[in-house]
Amino acid sequence: MSQQSPLGKPVNRVDGRLKVTGAAGYASDHHPDRLAHGYLVLSTVGRGSIRSMDTAAAQRSAGVLAVYTPLNPLKLFNQGGGLFGPNWVPLQDTEVRHHGQIVGLVVAETFEQARDAAALVRVAYDARTPVASFEDNIPNAAVPEPFFFGPAIQDYLADGVASIDDALAAAEVTVSGSYRQPIKLHNPMEPHSTVAVWRDGHVTVYSGTQAPVGHVQDIARCVGVDQARVRVVSPYVGGGFGNKAMTWGHTLLTVAAARALDRPVSTVLTREQMFTVTGHRSAVAQTVALGATRDGVLIAVKHDAYSSASTSGAMFPWGPHTTTLPLYRSENIHIGQRAVTLDIPTSTIMRAPNEEPGAFAIESAMDELAARLRMDPVELRMKNGTTVVPGNGHPWSSKHLDECYRVGARRFGWSRRNPVPGKVTSPDREWLIGMGMATAIYPAARFPSQVKIRLQADGTAGVSTAGADLGTGLWTVLAQLGADALGIPMDRIRPDIGDSALPNNTGAVSSASTAGAASALRLAAESVKRALIQLAVENPRSPFHGMNPQDVRYADGALTAAARRVSFGDLLEATGSAAVEATEGVGFGGDRQGFEFASFGAHFCEVRVNRWTGETRVSRFTTVVDAGKIINPKTARSQIIGGVIFGIGQALSEGIQVEPATGRFANANFAEYLVPVNADVPPMDVQFVQHPDTAFNSEGVRGIGELGTVGAAAAIANAVYNATGRRIRDLPITPDKLL
Amino acid sequence: MRAHDFTIARTVGEALSRSGDGSAYLAGGTTLVDLMKLDVMTPQRVVDINRLPMRGVHRDRRGLHIGALERMSDIAGYPLVKAGYPVIAEALLASASGQLRNMASIGGNLLQRSRCGYFRDTATPCNKREPGTGCSALNGENRMHAILGTSNSCVSTHPSDLAVALVALDAAVQLRDRSGVRTVRLADFYRLPGTTPHLEHDLRPGELVTGVMVPRLDWARRSTYLKIRDRTSYEFALTSAAVAVNLSGRTIRDVRLAVGGVGTRPWRLPAVEDALRNRPLRQDVVEAAAARAVADARPLAHNRFKVSLVQRTIVRAVMSLKG
Repeated sequence: MSQQSPLGKPVNRVDGRLKVTGAAGYASDHHPDRLAHGYLVLSTVGRGSIRSMDTAAAQRSAGVLAVYTPLNPLKLFNQGGGLFGPNWVPLQDTEVRHHGQIVGLVVAETFEQARDAAALVRVAYDARTPVASFEDNIPNAAVPEPFFFGPAIQDYLADGVASIDDALAAAEVTVSGSYRQPIKLHNPMEPHSTVAVWRDGHVTVYSGTQAPVGHVQDIARCVGVDQARVRVVSPYVGGGFGNKAMTWGHTLLTVAAARALDRPVSTVLTREQMFTVTGHRSAVAQTVALGATRDGVLIAVKHDAYSSASTSGAMFPWGPHTTTLPLYRSENIHIGQRAVTLDIPTSTIMRAPNEEPGAFAIESAMDELAARLRMDPVELRMKNGTTVVPGNGHPWSSKHLDECYRVGARRFGWSRRNPVPGKVTSPDREWLIGMGMATAIYPAARFPSQVKIRLQADGTAGVSTAGADLGTGLWTVLAQLGADALGIPMDRIRPDIGDSALPNNTGAVSSASTAGAASALRLAAESVKRALIQLAVENPRSPFHGMNPQDVRYADGALTAAARRVSFGDLLEATGSAAVEATEGVGFGGDRQGFEFASFGAHFCEVRVNRWTGETRVSRFTTVVDAGKIINPKTARSQIIGGVIFGIGQALSEGIQVEPATGRFANANFAEYLVPVNADVPPMDVQFVQHPDTAFNSEGVRGIGELGTVGAAAAIANAVYNATGRRIRDLPITPDKLL
Repeated sequence: MRAHDFTIARTVGEALSRSGDGSAYLAGGTTLVDLMKLDVMTPQRVVDINRLPMRGVHRDRRGLHIGALERMSDIAGYPLVKAGYPVIAEALLASASGQLRNMASIGGNLLQRSRCGYFRDTATPCNKREPGTGCSALNGENRMHAILGTSNSCVSTHPSDLAVALVALDAAVQLRDRSGVRTVRLADFYRLPGTTPHLEHDLRPGELVTGVMVPRLDWARRSTYLKIRDRTSYEFALTSAAVAVNLSGRTIRDVRLAVGGVGTRPWRLPAVEDALRNRPLRQDVVEAAAARAVADARPLAHNRFKVSLVQRTIVRAVMSLKG
């Protein structure tokens, strides 16, 4: 009987039991002998230089082993942080680039001793006034160099049209709006932590990371050690959302301190330190102007964005290029991106880095246009959707966005929406009720990924790659894909990830893990089956010895030929072989050329806004997703829900208050930076329209990790408008904005 | 956290004999331990009082008596609290998170320190933490700060929800030190910041809160606590209102009203109460009365909205009791 494939089944996480019982070892759970503990000292001015540091009291404090500062540094090499990391390494100069910057590392016998000694370090600064206000410095914004998405300013104009403003002026109906959102934080549940253990000139680094191989490269480069002597072990990662995809200063200092002290060192960041040491999502200000015919055909689309950037490096969001351009068809399109560089901590990638802000602006503006036209927002979007991407003219490999709109509208009950704002109330008339919708888009990427499959004599199969599972589900997906490819039960698959010594993998970035791993795994499965058959016909102790390989077939974990069937375990046993293995990989991009690959979705939500006191509460949410074939609907649903909850935070509560005079993040803690709590999360309905995207890869899968958050905030803001008639373009939508 | 002595007291006498200047009592620890880790509170001695017999909730002819070590969750669950004083139960359940409420004592709740971000960050000036250094919030981020009872030395809000309900109900705290016992009305217990914001209440060094007494008020059965906040749970108030009304038909015979999130201490509103007494419970009447709440408001750069929001909060809370 053929083995039932677990592909597409809502199977439980294979690492779930380990996690809920505490048996899964995260980075800081490693306690090697003689472990010492590091604690960071952070700057308390926003710009300037260190004049002197008094570390005497700290050095005398109980248990202290060393106090490293710019005046007593650990040597690091500034070899660049890559696209997503900071452009400097700590303690190599006395410069203060931002408030909350690393200016010291205290190492002591215990965490508490290190923390308490760090509080005794006194720093004297020659402080300068930081350039910290985003709003005030928008007039000084610069046009950045071309990036992944081409030039920062792009115009696509119909013949004879001189400018986008001319096109807008000629439109029958226009709307325009200006949209703002503050700096936000990743806030993964697991704090950033690094445990470094040197032995015989080799270092093993336990560090929660989304990219073990990249982490090795960064550490090797910046600490100054041969890459071959660095190994990163990171099997479990307690969330990352982008800020564990690069290497931050505390990791480099920890590795260097462990070498200098000749003993293992662990550094775990506090929640407060994570607000300035490990990156954030930029503040973004955007303007969108839309011109259309009276019957809702877009004639002119103009979307300009200003993103905050940091003198300390890394990237900033490119919203218009990644949302407006691929989403809507128009004769005339203008997209523009500018950067406002500030003396604030490093800005970096965060879940849907470009698309999250971009979609808030364009999907709010589309709602404003629909209201102006008295047209259904779903109909307006369906009327103007793209079939090819402006610029390169590539068609979509597989786009079923209209189906998402239709299915979502039906499941949600969109037809019951009153298009006139402010008309629907709760039975007690205390709450105004509104419905809103928005579109989600996220590009489908695939990065270099290798997978090794190892068939073992005990009948199990190892499936391994140096990827990462930050709650995203790779452990489980590998077990499912392995079971399907080899035709054996999932409990005989032994997945292994999160170790740089495993076959190369770019890591968990850009929602690309499953596409890469699935493609490589399918190739590796075919190779390992061929290798097994080769062994079967060549090994004299094999029952298939001497047969033509073409006559031997692999199915459901066994070889068959001439009415003989032998499982791979028995064959390996019989031939005295421990295992047969094969490693295969894929590179960048989709299988077929000339297509544009992206996942899509449609959000529908209902909000309640208190008539008197202005609190917005999300009461229902439906999201329908077009992301190709879904390997595991259970973990996939969790991804979408998590993304939508991110969007609830974006819409209603999250945001850093930057003090303009000091560059200090005023609410850099979990008490004052408000992530959504369970009570903010309504019942969620998630549906997948499953159309395998086989132009993208053989499995037909695309990414889902980031998609769910794209457009979620716009859907909520649009629902607030429908509830109240008030258009809030400045996030988060707190009660004071609705009084 | 600084090195400190730690001692467990088995009797009230033992606790009192071990405490004084530079010492702190530890009950639930939800404020003290938090602030010690931040280096904001640096007691030389911590006296654990959790074994002291300051428990129990009971009612007699004078009113409701609550032991100072009763946990917030437990108090909220007592039927005689839920039925007789819904405003107390609701204020408790609107506070903090389930985990914190399971740990935090009622005595500690009333003594919790400011949530001002500058008070909690030792790298910034703060008169409450270090007298004479200045107030960073005055011209800093002050959206969450107070509009009533502020001074140029301090504008931080009193954070307790429960205290707002208790002040509305004329509750008193029972105190004990080596010289004896005394009872102080909660409304008199808390101080305005003035030029001495580091002095928050009238507790003497080493003095222990042993209990809370809520005077009998039969019509407190018709009472409520309404809290407006930026997220649905686990967040401090932008504004809040504790209200009890004694209705006769549609006429307000008597009323108790205090507000939170807006004052440097829990803010009783006698002028609003006067404007409501013997008037019909009607939207326009309540709106006119609520306007009196903010006659002395001094809004800051980021919290001007509280002037309007607190009035709306009062109106919504009072109107919800018309039943």
